Parts: sequence; structure tokens; C-alpha cells
Amino acid sequence: MIRWSYAINQWKPSFDDFTRRRDHERALRVISISGFTGVELTTGTGRWEPLGNPDQLAANFGSAAGFADFVHDAALEAVSSWFFDPLLGFREDLSGPADPADPAAHDSVVSHATWFAEALAELGGEVLVVRPTASAWQRPELDDAVIDTIAACWNDVGRAIAPLGIRLALHFDFLSALRSHDGLERLLAATDPALVGFSVDTGEFAAAGLDPVAFIEAHPDRVAHVQLKNAAAVDDDDEYLRRNAEHHVKKGGGEKPVPRWFLELGVAAGIVDAEAVVRALVSHGYDGWVTVESDLSPHPPTSAMLNGWYLQHVLQPITAAS
Amino acid sequence: MKWSYMDHWRSPSPNGPIDQWQTYDSMDRFLKQVAAVGYDAIDTFDHRYFTIIDQYGSVANYQEFVQERGLERIVNTFHAAAYDQRNYAPHIASTHDNILEDFRVTMDRWSGIQLDNIIVMPATLYYDMEPVTEDKIKTTAELWNKVGAITLDAGVKLTCHHEFFCGIQSKEELDTFYAYTDPALVNLFVDTAQHCIASVDPVEFYEKYADRVTGFHFKDTRHQDLVGDYRRRPDAELMGTTTPRWFHEMGDEGGLVDFEAFMRAVVRNGYDGWLSVEHDKANKLGGDHAESTAIARWYAKNVLEKVAREEAAK
Repeated sequence: MIRWSYAINQWKPSFDDFTRRRDHERALRVISISGFTGVELTTGTGRWEPLGNPDQLAANFGSAAGFADFVHDAALEAVSSWFFDPLLGFREDLSGPADPADPAAHDSVVSHATWFAEALAELGGEVLVVRPTASAWQRPELDDAVIDTIAACWNDVGRAIAPLGIRLALHFDFLSALRSHDGLERLLAATDPALVGFSVDTGEFAAAGLDPVAFIEAHPDRVAHVQLKNAAAVDDDDEYLRRNAEHHVKKGGGEKPVPRWFLELGVAAGIVDAEAVVRALVSHGYDGWVTVESDLSPHPPTSAMLNGWYLQHVLQPITAAS
Repeated sequence: MKWSYMDHWRSPSPNGPIDQWQTYDSMDRFLKQVAAVGYDAIDTFDHRYFTIIDQYGSVANYQEFVQERGLERIVNTFHAAAYDQRNYAPHIASTHDNILEDFRVTMDRWSGIQLDNIIVMPATLYYDMEPVTEDKIKTTAELWNKVGAITLDAGVKLTCHHEFFCGIQSKEELDTFYAYTDPALVNLFVDTAQHCIASVDPVEFYEKYADRVTGFHFKDTRHQDLVGDYRRRPDAELMGTTTPRWFHEMGDEGGLVDFEAFMRAVVRNGYDGWLSVEHDKANKLGGDHAESTAIARWYAKNVLEKVAREEAAK
């Protein structure tokens, strides 16, 4: 059965936004009343990231269980998933960025992933979604040794969190180093299917010029999570290779420029066929969370409400008919 | 229990804030957002008629556009008249013929769909009516009895919505007005925030006139008018000294309206019509209509509907 959650990341465009309890309560209520039953968190660090990691949840809500109560009070069932980028680093334990391509960093990646998975289990979640490696501009070469090292890291993480009931899902984005040198398929082949799943982010796939439906059809057993969002354009000028592409391309729009890479589901300007994605998931018996997302939305409540309308009027009829 | 959303929408656009009537796309997005969070219908203003004709061809066509996005229909329309003592003032009998003709025209314009209510502010701005005397209220009541007959003939109830800054807003003025109006022709539409601002307890007021009530605006306020803003010239609603923002969505913090008590009263009195949600000017002070609309509906579903079920089970 597909369960529908919503990523809360769009509500926090900058580090000093979205810090107050009232902001969180209202965002969760908007998500709930728009028809979603779960919420996806994004990892962060420091006191201005109240939802960023287990320590901050404890500081603000007493404990993970306290935050779970807060989520339930908003009429949501669970925190579906947590997005974790190990290259972030955490002030909470004075850890720096941990690169899965560096064998010396694997213990740090595993311990932090376990930290999140333990909390996620308390929050009713099922999937730890991770950024598997750096951006392409940071790692232009991707030889077999690097792929094997990254794969070994995530195999270790998958092994560590499986006993907690949490699945691991590697998330591909359009700026990722995996976009070059057939990296996505090579990492897929190098990881243990029993331990490592993938998150299909439809908007990121589309922006990278990849077909998310084709990926689902080719690897249905590896799909452990879906982030469903629309895209406005394809980065067909390889701007993802540009230095600091996160700023110049993703937020700045690149040379075209693209005013906004990601859009609400079903809008005319979008290039993702969300109906086809859901049909593909249904046809393969996908059983898990689909997290609808609209990161970098200029107007988060409106994006959530429009996506909620599309969910209720277009996507759920597809799942109901199956 | 069905909820309707009263049209006060503003949204950001590349050209600055817009309302939903600018384009088909902005209307499409508005209606989908309202439907997404569980409203069943919308209310609107009847002065939108001209835009509707221009963009949709007819009121019925516009209602079809609404229905295609998952909403049931248009329930009520608000007749926002431009009161003027020279030609359009309910307490001045010499202007009545003009007003009556306005309602004949209006009811004809909206005859293509079935409305429940046409909502009016039944008096001019307070300062245009003061001193508010029994005679002036009686003259006002005589007008609305005649208007009520016109709207009822068109199958629509006339219902009165008392803004805190209108000439009939205190408890005494309200009692006088409803004593002089015909219950068969003139109904009451309780706006929880407006009465609260005017220091009229909305629950007590509703209970007293429950058999004349044909609808509500569920909305909140954080302020009562304790300084006479209701008679402030030239404007009380946007220029009052108490606050730059009188109205808030229900379910937000700091509100003065006891919605749970109000909902219990609604159930106790066996009301079975539509419940309208409003939060006009919610975009002031950094507010956001989309978010407010979702928050109010969340509160309706997760708090008020549960309270209603509890009350009904008693």
C-alpha cells in the first residue's frame, strides 16, 4: 500500500527561518489537512534546526517521543522518513563532514545514520533517505574504486539500521556525482540489494534528463522510497558540472536561467508524468511511503495544498482502482 | 456538516499580490487549494458578476468551473453595497427605491444558479447613521423587509451580517432591528469576530436569535474595540487605532472567540445549513491567505467537528 507524506524542507529556505514552535505546528497542520498522513524531515545541525536531528528534537520537544506526540497532535500518523546528507557534519558532536568515498569516514557515516534511524523508529518512520555522495563538481572522477568504497559504506549503513526496522534509500539528485560516468547504475550494481534501496526523486531524475518511470520499471525491487515532485526543465547544458552548482544552478537558475526547477504536480509547465510514476509503482506492488515534495517553493502552503488536490483528485483514484 | 469558504483570497505573483479573479489559472489554483483542504463549496461577492460574465460568460458557467475542481457549488453571495447618504442608505427612506431596484437587478443577475443566502450589511457606516435612533432603525428595518420579499421571490434568503463598524452593531441596536424586521423575510448571519469586536457575545447573541440564523462566518479576532474605532472617520476596518489587522483565522493563537462553545450552540439549536469560514484581510501584518485557509479548515475538522459530534451525542 502506498502511504503519502510531505517533505517539510520547503518551509525552511534559510538557516534562520522556520525555528519557532508555531511555525512547525502550522506547517504540520497544512500538510495534514491537505491530505497527507506523514511528514519527512531533513537533517540539520545547531539550535536553529529544531527538527534537524535527535538532539534538537530533545532540546525542543523533550525527546523523539515528545516530537512524535507533537506530530500526532497535528493529526499526522508518523514521520515517514528522514533525509540525511553525511557531508553536512554535526555541531552536536563536533563531527565534520563525513564522505562515503573516504574509508576513514565510514564509521562516522554509520554512527550518524544509526543515530537518525533510532529516532526515526521512535517516530513511526520507515526509511532513512541519504545523499550517497558529493556533487559532480566536487567529484568529477568516479572510478571503480570510488564506487566500491561508496557502496561498502552504504552496505554497512544498511546492515546497521536494518535491525531497527529502518530501510536505507539512496537518493539521486540532478547535481550528483552519480550523474556522470553511469554512476547511478554502477552504484546500484555495487550495493547489496538486501541492504540498500533507492529513492526515486522524480523531479531530480527529470531535471537530470532521466526517466523515473524507466528506473522503476528496470529496478522495481530496489525502490525503497519515492520523492514525488515535478520539474520545470532539464539541465541539458551539463551545468551540474559547474563549480558551486547548488548556488549558481539549483538556486540561481543557471545560464538559461531556470527561475524555479521544481513545480507542483500536474501543472502544465511540468515535465514529470506523476500519474505514470504512480501507475508504475502500483503495477509493481510498491508498498511504502511516497513523499511529495516541492523544495525551493516560493510559497510552501500553496504548494502543499495544490499537491494535496492533485493527490486526492488524480493520484489516489489510481491507487484506489488497483 | 458542510463548510464553505468565503472569498477573500490574495496570493503572490511575479507582478505582486493578486486575487484569484485575475486569470483562469489563478482561479484554478485558488479553487484547488480550497478543495484540497476539505471545503465543500465557496461563497463569493455578487459584485464579481461583471468579472464572471467577462471571463466565464455566465454565473452558471462559473459555477461549473468551480464544480470541475471538486467543490459542490456557490452557496452564498455577499452584497457589498457602497453606502451613500445621497442615494443608498437604509436609514434614509428617500433612497429606498434605488436600493430596491438594485436588488431586483442583482437577483436577476444571479438567477442562473441556486443560492442559499444573499448577505448584506444592513446599515451604513456608523458615523453616517449616528445618532442611531429607534426611528432610523425602524426605517432601516422597513427597507429590509421589502428587500427580503424580493430575494425570497427569487428563492434566496436575505440575511444580515453586522460589521462592527456599521450603524446596527450594539446589543441594543441589534435587538431593536430584529424586533422591527419580519422573521419570515429578514434573517441573521452571525459573524463571530465582528460581534466579538463590538463586545456582543457571539454565543449569547446566536442563542437568542437561533431561529432566524441562516449562516455564519467562522472567524476570529484578537481585539475588542474599546476605544470607539467603530465610528472612526474615515474608516474603521483598515485604519482603526486598535490594530491594523482585526481578523484572524480560527485555530490560530490569541483569538477571543470561543469556537467550541459556539459550535456546541450551533448543534444544540439543530442548525443544518452550511458553515462558512472567513478571514478577510488575513494577509495584513505578513499573514497568508492560503495558510490561514488551511489552518482554519484543520481546526474545523480536528476540533470543531469532534465537539459537534460530542454535543450531538448528548
